[in-house]
This record gives sequence, C-alpha cells and structure tokens, in this order.
Amino acid sequence: MPVPPGVATSGPASTVVPGASGRWFLARPNLQLLVDQLRADGRTVIAPTLADGAIVYDEITSIAELPGGWTDAQAPGSYRLAPRDDGRLFHYTVGPTSWKRWTFPPRVPMIDGRRDGAAVTFEPGRELPTRLAFLGVRACELAALRIQDRVLVGGPYVDGDYQSRRASALVIAVECSTASSTCFCTSMGTGPEVHDGHDLVLTELDEGFLVRAGSMAGSALLARLPLTVASVEEIYAAREQVAAVAAAIGDPVPTTGLHDRLLAQVDSPRWDRVAERCLTCTSCTMVCPTCFCTSVVQRSDLDGTASTGERVWDSCFSLGFAKVAGGNFRSRPRDRYRQWLTHKFATWIDQFESFGCVGCGRCITWCPVGIDVREELMAIAPPLELGVEPAPAAPVAASPSEYRVGRVRSVRHETADTTTLVIGDLDPAFLAGHPGQFAMVDLPAFPSLPISISRYRPDAIELTIRAAGPASTALTRLKPGAELGMRGPLGSSWPLERAAGRDVIIVTGGIGLAPLRPLIDAIMAQRRRFGDVRIYYGARTPHDLLYADEIEELTQRPDIELGVTVDRAGPEWLGRVGVVTQLFDQAQWDGSGAVAFVCGPERMMQVTVGVLAAHGITSDRVYVTLERHMQCGIGLCGHCQMGKYFICRDGPVFSLASLGGIFGREGV
Amino acid sequence: MQGAEMAAPSAGERRYTVGYLTRVEGEGSLLLRVRDGDVLEARFKIFEAPRYFEQLVVGRTPDEVIDIVARICGICPVAYQMSAVHAFEDCFGVAIEPAVRTLRRLLYCGEWIESHALHIYLLHAPDFLGYPSALAMAADHRDVVARGLAIKKLGNEILEVLGGRAIHPVSVRVGGFSRVPRRAELEALRPALDDAVRMARDTIDFVTGLDAPEFDRPMRYVALRHASEYPFNDGRIVSSDGIDVAPTRWDDAFVEVQVEGTNALHARTAGEHQVYLVGPAARVALAGDRLHPLAAAALADTGLVERVRSNIYWSIAARAVELLHALAEARDIIDAYRPPAAPRVAWEPSPGRAAWATEAPRGLLFHRYEVDAQGLIAAAQIVPPTSQNQGAIEADLVAFAPRVLALPHDEAQHRIEQLVRSYDPCISCATHFLDLQIEEVP
Amino acid sequence: MVVSTTPARLRLGIVKFASCDGCQLSLLDLEDELLDVAERFEVVEFAEASSLRSRGPYDVLLVEGSISTADQAAEIIELREQARLLLTIGACANAGGIQALRNWTSEQAFRAAVYPSPDYIDSLATATPVSEHVTVDASLPGCPISGGQLREVLASIAIGRRPQIREESVCVECKRRGTPCILVSSGVPCLGPVTQAGCGAICPAFGRGCYACFGPKEAANTASLGDAFVGAGRAPTEVGRLFAGFTAYAEPFRTQVTERRGLERSAPFGRPSVLPVGAVPPVADVMRGAGTAGGPADPAAPITPAGRSKAGGTRARRRAGDPDARR
Repeated sequence: MPVPPGVATSGPASTVVPGASGRWFLARPNLQLLVDQLRADGRTVIAPTLADGAIVYDEITSIAELPGGWTDAQAPGSYRLAPRDDGRLFHYTVGPTSWKRWTFPPRVPMIDGRRDGAAVTFEPGRELPTRLAFLGVRACELAALRIQDRVLVGGPYVDGDYQSRRASALVIAVECSTASSTCFCTSMGTGPEVHDGHDLVLTELDEGFLVRAGSMAGSALLARLPLTVASVEEIYAAREQVAAVAAAIGDPVPTTGLHDRLLAQVDSPRWDRVAERCLTCTSCTMVCPTCFCTSVVQRSDLDGTASTGERVWDSCFSLGFAKVAGGNFRSRPRDRYRQWLTHKFATWIDQFESFGCVGCGRCITWCPVGIDVREELMAIAPPLELGVEPAPAAPVAASPSEYRVGRVRSVRHETADTTTLVIGDLDPAFLAGHPGQFAMVDLPAFPSLPISISRYRPDAIELTIRAAGPASTALTRLKPGAELGMRGPLGSSWPLERAAGRDVIIVTGGIGLAPLRPLIDAIMAQRRRFGDVRIYYGARTPHDLLYADEIEELTQRPDIELGVTVDRAGPEWLGRVGVVTQLFDQAQWDGSGAVAFVCGPERMMQVTVGVLAAHGITSDRVYVTLERHMQCGIGLCGHCQMGKYFICRDGPVFSLASLGGIFGREGV
Repeated sequence: MQGAEMAAPSAGERRYTVGYLTRVEGEGSLLLRVRDGDVLEARFKIFEAPRYFEQLVVGRTPDEVIDIVARICGICPVAYQMSAVHAFEDCFGVAIEPAVRTLRRLLYCGEWIESHALHIYLLHAPDFLGYPSALAMAADHRDVVARGLAIKKLGNEILEVLGGRAIHPVSVRVGGFSRVPRRAELEALRPALDDAVRMARDTIDFVTGLDAPEFDRPMRYVALRHASEYPFNDGRIVSSDGIDVAPTRWDDAFVEVQVEGTNALHARTAGEHQVYLVGPAARVALAGDRLHPLAAAALADTGLVERVRSNIYWSIAARAVELLHALAEARDIIDAYRPPAAPRVAWEPSPGRAAWATEAPRGLLFHRYEVDAQGLIAAAQIVPPTSQNQGAIEADLVAFAPRVLALPHDEAQHRIEQLVRSYDPCISCATHFLDLQIEEVP
Repeated sequence: MVVSTTPARLRLGIVKFASCDGCQLSLLDLEDELLDVAERFEVVEFAEASSLRSRGPYDVLLVEGSISTADQAAEIIELREQARLLLTIGACANAGGIQALRNWTSEQAFRAAVYPSPDYIDSLATATPVSEHVTVDASLPGCPISGGQLREVLASIAIGRRPQIREESVCVECKRRGTPCILVSSGVPCLGPVTQAGCGAICPAFGRGCYACFGPKEAANTASLGDAFVGAGRAPTEVGRLFAGFTAYAEPFRTQVTERRGLERSAPFGRPSVLPVGAVPPVADVMRGAGTAGGPADPAAPITPAGRSKAGGTRARRRAGDPDARR
C-alpha cells in the first residue's frame, strides 16, 4: 500500500488538546516574553542567529539575536545573506546547521572501558542532556525529526541518547514565509505547512505571529503569554503566505514511483557522470537533517588500560566507511554517490516506510560544486509521465485566410544564399512554439512558404531562409523594419523529453541545421538532464556553414562533442573534408541507449540512419524531419501527403519507426 | 658536503670535532683548528639542506607569503609572519587598528613564552644540571621539567586562541587577522596565566641558582628599541655602539655575507664588517628599561644585570626575565581586551620595497621584499637572528676554545656545545645547524 | 620477590631532513603526555631534544623532512635498514613540502639566485618525499602533524592495534565543529573538500580557506573542484597556484599545478645585496688583534667540570664517508 512520502507511520503520538485548534495572535515584541518563559522553565533556547556569514542555530537569550531584517539567497553551491528593510525575524529558510546538532550531536561519549590484568569493566558514557527549546523549526525540519524518531527510536532497538535528548527539547515551529530556489519540500510532502510534530507553531506576519499549540506543553506555554484571538484577516493572511510559498516552489521532483524507478537504474551511466563532479567530501550527508551514520572512535592511554569510545558523525562518502580487513565494499566515488541517493530516495522506504529526504535543499546549497539532487534524480530516473510530450501551443492564424504581422528586427546573412531574419513585434503564440515547428510565412503577391523557426528568443523568433526561388529570395531581401505575415507555430516538434537522461546524437547537413538549432538551444539550457551530446554537421563548402560564430562557441564547450565537415574546400579550410557520416561512422561510442535527431537532404538522412543503426540506435529512437510542398500548413490542401501522413500536420518531425517503409522510398 | 677542505693539519695542530650538535634547532657543525692553545681557524659547516625560501615566495601574493615564511621555522613561525606582514603593511600604507596591533603583541608574547620555555627547560637547562636531555632530567627533577612544559603549554594556548594552532598559525593576514577572539576565549586563559607568572618567577630563581662558567666578553649588541614598549613589532634598530636606523633600513647598517663551507649566510655590520649579537641578552642590554615592571624588578633581584650584558652563558637569565615579561604583558593585554571593530582592514597592494624588522624570540629578524606591479613578490631577502649571531658564535668559540683544550675530549666538546646553546641558535631558520667539530691535529 | 611486569620499552628514534622542525616539535608539544611517552618508549635518538645519540636499531623511527641533498639520500637508506617501523611525519617527508616547488623549475637557477657563490652549496635538484627513496610503513600527514594523531599512532604501536587515523575530508571536521562552509557562503577558495582531515578544520573556523597542509585525501577530485573555481571566475593560473602549497608535489595536486600553470610567475630573480665568499675576512682573523670585542679570557681560569657528564661517548656522525667523522 503506498504511503504518502514524508509521513512517518510511527513516532511520538500527538494528543488532542482542548483549545489546540485555537488560533491566537502574539504581537512581535512579545516574542521576547516567550523566550523569557522558556528560560524561566530552565530551558536553553536554540534559535537562528547570524554567524560567520550564515544563519546558524545557536543559543539565544534575546530576540535581538535573531537575524531580523536578513534573508538568504541560495543556489547550488552558493549561500548569501542579504539585508531586508522590514523587521521580519524569520524571513529566510534553512541554513547549514540542523537540529540534529542537538538531538544527535557530532560527538557523544559512549563508553569508558578499563582493563586491569585479565579483568575488564565498562561504564556507559552517558551525558545528561540539558533542557532545550528549539525556536524556529521549519516544516521540513519537523519531518526530519519525525524521520529520525522512526530510525533511532521507532525500531526494535532504541538509541537511548537520542531519545533522552529528543524528549528534553520543546519544539516551536515557524511556517515559512519564503522559499529558496533549492527548496523542494512540496515534492517530498513535508511542507511548507506545519501539521504536527510541534509543541507550538508560529506564522510570522508584519505585526506579529499567528500562534497555534500542538501539544499540552504548548498549550500550557500559551496560557502564560499575552495573546489575542486571531482575527479572520490574520488567519487568512497566514494561510495565503504559506500557500504562496508552496506555489513558488512548485513540484520539482515528482516522486510517484520514484522508489522503483531509481532502483531500476542501478547500472545507469549517469552515476559515472555525477561521480566526475562529486568530491566525496561528505558535505551533503553532514548538513542533511536525517543522515544518521556514525562511527565509534577509541581514545586510550598508551598502555590500553583505559579508553573512551566516542560516537562521531560519519558518512557513507568517506573511504573508510565500508572498509573491512582486506578490502572495501564501496571504494569508488560512483558507488558511494549511488549508495547515498538510492538510500535517501528508495531503500529508506523499505527500511523506514518513508523517504529519507525532506526536501530542505541543504545538500544542494552546501555542495561545493553545486550538484543538485533534483537534477540528478530527474536525469537518472525521470518520471514516466514526462515521456509524454507537453501539449503543443495552439497556433495562431491557422487558417490560410488569416496572417499575423511580424516585423523584421534585424537581418543576418549567414551565407551567400541563406539569411536569418529576427522577427519581433509578433503574436506571443509564436514565442510559445517548440523546437522543430515551422511557420507559414507570406509576403503579398508571393506564395506563402513553410519556414522552420530556427530560434526562440524571449521576445522574438528567428527564421532562417535559403533563397531557392523567387518567394524565398524576396524574404531574404527584406530589410529591418519590413513587415511580413505569419501563421503558426505549426507541425510536430522534436521530442526532447524522450532524450532526458540519455545520450543525444544530432546529425545535420546544410540548412537542416536550422530546425535543429532550437533543439540544441533547449539541450544546452538544461545540459545536465542529458548524457553525452554529440553534434555532427556537414555543409557543402566552408562558405555554406550556418551560424559560424555559434558553431565556434559550441566547439569550445567541454561538455559536448561537435564535429564539422564540408564536402569540398580550399586550402584555407583546416577542418575535416568529407560527408557528414564520415564524422562518426568509425566512432566507438555505443548508441544502445541514445536518441538521435536528424535533419538534412533526404539522401544524407538515409545514409545517416544506416550508420546510426550500426551504432545501435534503433528506429524507434531516431527522429527525422521531412520536407514536402506545403501550402496550407494545416493538412487541408493535400499537397504534403506522404503515405498516410500529412507532413505539415502529422510531422514534419517523425520517428523513423513510425515512417516505416516509406522513408527514403521514391515516389511516395 | 661542498666547500673547500680545510688545509691539512700541520705539525702541532689539533682539530676539535663536536659531532652533530644536539639540543639546538637545525643541523650544522663547527670545526676548529687549534695549535698550541691558539685557534687557527673556525669554520661553521651548515649542512641543513637549503630550502630556498627567498625563491619560493617569488610570484606569490603577500598573504601567501605569510603562510609560506612561517615554515622557515617550527619554533618561531610567528616571528616570520610578523616581519612579513609589517613589511607589506608599511609598503602598502595599511594602517591597522590599535586593538589589532595589541593582538599582534599578544601573539608574539605567546611565541616568546613557548620558545623561551622550550629553550630554557628542554634545550639548555640539562647542560647546567649535567643531563643529556630534559627527558633524562625528568627522572630526577620531574617537577622542574613539568613546570617548563606547563609554561610552554600556556604559550601554545595563547597561539591557538589567536592563531588557530601554535605551529604555523593561520589567522595572520595583511591588514589584521582573519578572525579575532571573543573576550570569553581569552579570559579562559586567565587562571593558567596567573599560575604561569608564578612559575616564571620560579624559573628566574631556578636559573639564577645555576652554575655558569666565567666568560666575560663585552659584545656589540643589536636590537629594536621603542619609545615605550619592550620591543616586538616596532622600534628603531639600535646597537650598543651607535647604530640607529629605522626598522625598514636594516640593510643600510648591515650586510649579508656568504662564507665558504656552509649553507648559511652570515651577517656583519656594513662598512667595518664586524660581528654582533642579537637576542634576549641584546634586548635586555639595549631595552631593559622598557621591561614590564614585574620583569624589571625580578631582573634587578637576580643581581645578574651586568653578567647578562657580558657573559653569554647568562643569556638563560635574560631569557627567563623575558619569559616573565611576556607572561605579564599577556595578562595585561587580556585583562584590557576589547575586540576590534573589524578583524582586518581592506588593502590594495602597491609596487615597491617592503621591509621590516621585528624581534623574534632569538633576536632581530629582518625581511625585505620587492613587490611588482601585479602585487606579487619579485624578490625577497630574509635575515634570521641566528644568521646574524653566527659571527659572534664563531668569535666566542675562538676565544673560548683554548680554555677547555686541557679537558678530556668529551668534556671539552660538551663545554663547547653548552656555549653554542647559550645562543639558542635556530638553525632551520637560516638553513643552519650547529655541530661543533674541533679537529685535533696531533 | 617482585617481578616487573612492565613491558620492555620500544626504541624510538626521531630524525630530520630538510624541514622546519615543526613536526618534531609536535611531539614536544604533547606536554603533559610527553613524559608518559618517554616512559613507554625509550627515546634513543632525538637530536633536537637529547644529546643521546643512536644509529639504531630502532623499533619505531619517525622521519621528518624532505630528501634534498645527496648525503640525505644515502642516509635515509641506512636508516631504513635500522628501523623496524619507519613512519614519515609531516608534509615535507610525505610530499616534499613547500620546498618541493623547486621541482618544477631549475634548482641551479634557484641556488644561484640565493647564494652568490653557489658552488659551495650542496643540494639536489629536487626536494623529494622519503617514500621516493625507501619503503615507508606509515605516514602522518600535516604541516605540522596533529599532536593528537601522533599520540594515537604511538599508542597504537604500543598497544598493538590499528591506528585510528580517519580517512575523510576536512569538510567532515568543519561540519562536526559547526563551522558554516566558507566556500559556499562567501566564495573564498577552500581546498577542504579535497584535503585529508586531521587539523580539526582550523582555517575555516578562523575565517579563511583551507590551504591543504594535510595533503590530498583519497580519491581527491581536484579536477572537479578546480573547474568549479574556474567557473566561479578565477583565472586558471590562480587556481593552479592554490594547489601549489605545502603538499603541491603530491598527486593529484601536482597535476593541477602543472596543468593549470600555477607556478608560471615564479621565475627566480637574483638575490639582493649579499657579498660573495671571501669578501670579508674570516672571524678568527677579525678576532686576532681586534680590540672592539674584548680579548680572550685568561686561559688559566678554572673550568668547573660538569656535575654529571652526558652518558655515552658515542658522538655518532650521521655522515658516512665524512673524513672528519669520529666513530
């Protein structure tokens, strides 16, 4: 039976408390009274403070020590504080420390041993925990406490030290009023709303705090504070604030079926790729609020007669962790990363009935090289739903009796016969197109032409046109400021999502690069979602190479392989000469998991798919784009029919498998 | 070892060789050729392998230089950091906060305490009491050795609180420190400091009661002298015979010399090429009136003021007095400590000559750097105290050796080693290691 | 009759090559525990602290310093034969130390730049780790080593258990200590993620980045960290120079220094203002007849013999083949 992620099935029971459903309001300055009451109870108050360029949990006596007027900006591998101009005390998310520091400290004396001749004695090294109050616990952190409760107290063997520390700490939660770009509690089902696990929960508004109790102890505390009954406005303001946070985060990591998907990828080549970046520094496990791996270190006198065993935080990323006399079960960094990710997101469920991750984002922020587990999960075990292509944007002016006007913003003559027009001031529907789609482009008195959209910009599109006839020539002669008419975006698009987590091969010749260019843009924008990316581009001569400066830039990137060749060239050309398939027909890469996108003259495409097949890329993973005489662009004039397909409407992008025998067959 | 071989002994010559000198820092040897009670030739052979620090810093930034030059010596890394950082700040026109200046004095106190306690108890005292080592001495005088270790430990703790660790502290930066301590961290040292001050007085008593040979040789002393402070990081370079230059202009008054048969460079006065002495005895002689009142009183009580000025064996007393001074000053600094507004100030490098001298535990330490237009080091000159003392050591040995030639050889060697140890030479500093060889030529 | 059950003391030697002495000092800095060590081990050779010398045999030999001269290269081989367990301590012995930076350039040029008469200086072209000359049984990293780790190793040898030297990054120590990561929170370049732990993560706790005193950790992914620094806007040669520190010669730091050209600015320059050999008269000449420093004391003045002369007469010379040696 599926268990909602992030919800423990065992842990301290919450009691129904009279009045616990009451919502109260505490004016901002009166928060100090809460701190005073806690201290009067003999509790040390641990709360967020500013130290060493970060917000860390530490002891406070006054609310002046909270990071009022500060917020954080987090990204993979980066954490910065920034001042705010309001007096909010909790308008940030989580920092590098977690409450684990107090419930499960980094160093705990476990045992004292003595040896006296043949006799041995043992004394437990128990430290008496101090009474604590945690002020500022976020929803994700409550979930983390629940998870560690399950691990350390909810099984057949109990960690007494954790149990006593946990019992000595009062928990005052705070609902988040902002999210960091690294948060994903929503995906893990742990926040940002606080539901249980707290003694008190505060939601900060401009004038003060909405307060709710979650336990007897919390209610008793409330009774000693100057509260007013929360107004309807305050209740709604609090709810909206939290809802806005949830909306801002969205759902970055769909977790349905993640357990099985991840375990099915034990041999994924992606593990090697992340291992190239991973430093095995253990930072992720150290900042994680649920990681619980430890080691016991002995410290003894020189004779070995008296020794103390100390339990210290350890990590599955450290080499010695899996060492036994004579070997190491997990010495490769790749194996260590795989162990961590699969434990956190898959096998933890088998062990403890929930995910081990609460979506706090610390491992993303505090990774020195910014490895992002969300990205890694999506690349290694993408959700099945994403195999379906997003719904195409509805075209504008689909009927040939309408055109929308766009204006030429700039003109770039790529080669002697090919020009790129940048079209702005156009209907936004064109901007929402997908790579591989085309527009029907029209100048009065000329027939309209299907032109591939060769780039999507935030406020413009690019059309790359080869002057093959009078109509296309007229388009290539347009000057900036000239207008033209367009219908679209039309046709099918390159299925980018089919390539997520896989190697990508792009083979193109001549102007065939134009419809592939937006696909290359999309891949580069999210490079890490894909495996190896190889682009092979051929042109007739060096003077026919399109987008020469962009090709040059792509050549400089270490994270893609780009091969360029020309059919013939003069002595000034220092690159390859030959047909494009010669760039990879002898290559050693294995295409058995790869996806290929091909566009160019039909003859070139036919030879190409044969070479791709020889590399193991079967026809269901090869996509081509076809060209036919199009007039209406919407499958109603009959011109572009090929077999059972109307190229303009069912294509122009097709999987090779769907084309079957008609691909390359003459006269179809 | 390279170097021209000493001339073959002729009739009537004796050569004395003391093996690898122990209980000094570093590796070296001294060879004396003696005939008829006259010393014909004295030569130091430093075989501590040269590490070429003046080249290692080329192309590095000023903050990197601070980390690198610390590694010249494990016992006195702070001294190298202080001379370097003040040289750069002087060149770049960086003004540090007064509280930072005081913290740097405290850091130096920590190092003097650790270094002087090490030398007095672990390196030198065994000679006076006739033991080969403090470890052997502890068998009969455990409380004495424990006292030395306890004082040394406190010196290290001061360094750890300020600098992160005692050997090669990490927090000294151009413009200040990368981090300054909270009051509570320094106050935690107070109880141990009171104990240590008491132990330092005991040390002075202990040292005063030692038996030292008569060996009075007035010396030319060189040290920093400041208008009001006992010298650490500030003051003019003065000598007992009239030299008086700014701390940036050591090379106006002195010059370095390469001597055959040794990996180390010597220093002499410019012009006359005279030898001179730096270190605790020099400081007490030239700046004794700036000692902390407790230390000045203790020095007066010993009755050794004149001895310290003229007999190098009594440098141990100068060192003990400075130990008390450093502890007393450290205590005063900690009592008055208020953290600076910022641990360090912003700075920009500028090209030019960066030079400064500070007082390492063993004496004057001079650094000079050429900084290029990119703010990187183009050249460096580092003159450690032991380099500067080498000539004086040789001169003393030449003068002293005849007196012990009548003793059994082992005894003579021991006596000569004891003399060398009075200088507290720190040989790794200047790729120096003292190993006395007195070659007896029959 | 009482039969002593104290186990025989293990013979411990501590020797030094080209280094600053800091690692040996770490042993002396054990302070209270030093005397315990001296009870459990017989310190037979420790030139910095004891006049008792021994050429071996040693049960445990701690070696500090890099091999930088021909004599040292010969001597370490002799010492290896005398040692049952040879442990290198510190960055110099393990990785060549900061002086190993000269391995990237011409030592001749270095020597000429420092000494005006370079022929009188004996040194090798390289400063190399001890392990390039003899087999090493174990090593303690650090610049200086950690006193706690040294103590742990000595205790382990005495007890007969495996030393608990944790193989982990400095990040682990920072996180246990509670120091926010300085690399992530302020962009300060820090080598902690690729550096072996042992120092207790001092530098980040003191507001500056780790500079890798303890050398590369196992599986140190310096390429990835170096790329991350470059991606954050640092020049490649600056990144190369970050790795060109006290453990630069150890792989994979060495490759980073070379490939990113971290030392390309360190061409030697001539050393300013040093007079060459012979420019000033030797001291003995200066003393003879010189009045400024006073004349020699009365040769007849009595010298009190020491109350207890140092034990043993063996002033063993460590330089085989030295014509001045007395055995």
